[in-house]
Amino acid sequence: MLNESRIKLMTKMASYEANEGKKNMAIGTYFKGDYIGKEVMKSIIYATIAYVLVFALYVCYDFEFFMQDIYKLDLLEFGKSIIVQYLKLVVGYGMITYIVYALRYQSARRSLRCYYNNLRRLNSMYRKEEQEKNK
Amino acid sequence: MTQLLVIRETIQSFIGKYENYFRPASKFALCLISLLMINGSIGYTEKITGLAVVLIVSLLCSFLPINTIVVASALFVLLHLYTLSLESVIVVGALMMLMFLLYFRFTPKDTILLLLTPLCFVLKIPYVIPLAAGLVAAPSAVISVGCGVVMYYMLSYISANTVVLAGGVSGEMLAKIKFLIDELLFNREMLMVVISFAITIITVNIIRRLSVDYAWDIAIVTGALMNILIILIGDLKFGTYISIVGLIFGSIVGVAIVIVLKFFAFNVDYSRTEHVQFEDDEYYYYVKAVPKNTLSLADKKIKKIKGQSGQKPQSSVKREGSGRIPAEGKDATEYRVRRSATRENERSNSSGNKSGTKRIILPDEDLNAINVSAGVREEAASRRQDRNGMTSIERAAAAKARSEREERNRRQ
Repeated sequence: MLNESRIKLMTKMASYEANEGKKNMAIGTYFKGDYIGKEVMKSIIYATIAYVLVFALYVCYDFEFFMQDIYKLDLLEFGKSIIVQYLKLVVGYGMITYIVYALRYQSARRSLRCYYNNLRRLNSMYRKEEQEKNK
Repeated sequence: MTQLLVIRETIQSFIGKYENYFRPASKFALCLISLLMINGSIGYTEKITGLAVVLIVSLLCSFLPINTIVVASALFVLLHLYTLSLESVIVVGALMMLMFLLYFRFTPKDTILLLLTPLCFVLKIPYVIPLAAGLVAAPSAVISVGCGVVMYYMLSYISANTVVLAGGVSGEMLAKIKFLIDELLFNREMLMVVISFAITIITVNIIRRLSVDYAWDIAIVTGALMNILIILIGDLKFGTYISIVGLIFGSIVGVAIVIVLKFFAFNVDYSRTEHVQFEDDEYYYYVKAVPKNTLSLADKKIKKIKGQSGQKPQSSVKREGSGRIPAEGKDATEYRVRRSATRENERSNSSGNKSGTKRIILPDEDLNAINVSAGVREEAASRRQDRNGMTSIERAAAAKARSEREERNRRQ
């Protein structure tokens, strides 16, 4: 015989698995530190590419100035300022990434906990049904 | 209003019924419109301006995730710009790379706003975007819409200066890049629109979350006024010469479109708002429940019931199941309909109607009854009146009073 509440629960769980559950389950396979570390590493790479792009556009924009003043420039100072700006960008972007992905990890774990609870409920429903059948 | 609700229900049920076809069809339409508009405004590469190419790409995108449309549009833009000048590809490509690397990796769902914003600008309805984004998206949509505005102004600047960008010798490459970056950094109109859209989105988002009646309507009107005000102030400050009539008329059109959007996304009946208050061990709860405005579609069934003259009528309505009366849900509706059919049939036969065939129109009992959201539905059901004009609550109260009276009499 069909158990309506069991079917409802299974439908809800199947919908979760097909939509947001997919992403959350992928997150759930990581430890918190590993997951955030991976995303922060990605962010550092992206920020580096973005910085190189912006710097290239900056050089193109002020190319004449560079060509004129290249010998007058204190290259060490100039290099230092570039590195400081790069570090500022990477640290800032890394911190934003850390916060965003820490929150995402927490919400994914919470959501997965709910999903596992539903799994346990489903399991107990099956067990109950089987016991009734055996009686 | 009832008619509008019926139309809405019809549209929603139609979309729900054919969702498998509707989803790819809408993606196809979006991609087709975007690519046609890109080809129309900056169509410098003849090889990809043909309708066949556009249709094939749109068809491909209709079966892929929605962000593919954004990627396809970006590729089309870059290909067109490559034919025009390498410098514009470098600047616009770098801009797109920065957007995708730094922001859209966090919120891939918002990427569609990057496409919709320039699209609305081309369709001359730009003021829809901040209002709609404020209503249905998160506050982070500010950045996506801002990127969309920047992209639109950049592309329209390039299409307005094709002669400058396409001409000249290769030695002028750096000058052209500087020319484009200057536009990106010092276009005051663009800056003003980005700021005004950002403030409007945040304002609309904050107001529509408030726990006041008609929050969405207040948010729409306030957002539109705020947008007009900021653009006017910006116009006075920067001297951008924006058409005031166009701004006001565009805002009115924007508000009208957003009201239609609101009708589909958030249609509630504030006159039936309920305030509930309760507590548990840790908290006091002050709950405000606003029922949704929904309407059941008319579902008239025509049933032919045959009866032979001089014989006991044979009802075509069968009694099925275990004989238990279903309390609620679809089964209950069917049961009630069958019961009313049987009663109607019996009544017509007992009143001497001996015709061979009787047509009975069985209205769905819930026809034109306003359904309420799940939380209030049970209460509404309990208030439904019976034939004596009593609700189930009143019936229960009367039964309780009767039993108490009897108990008292017995004791005496």
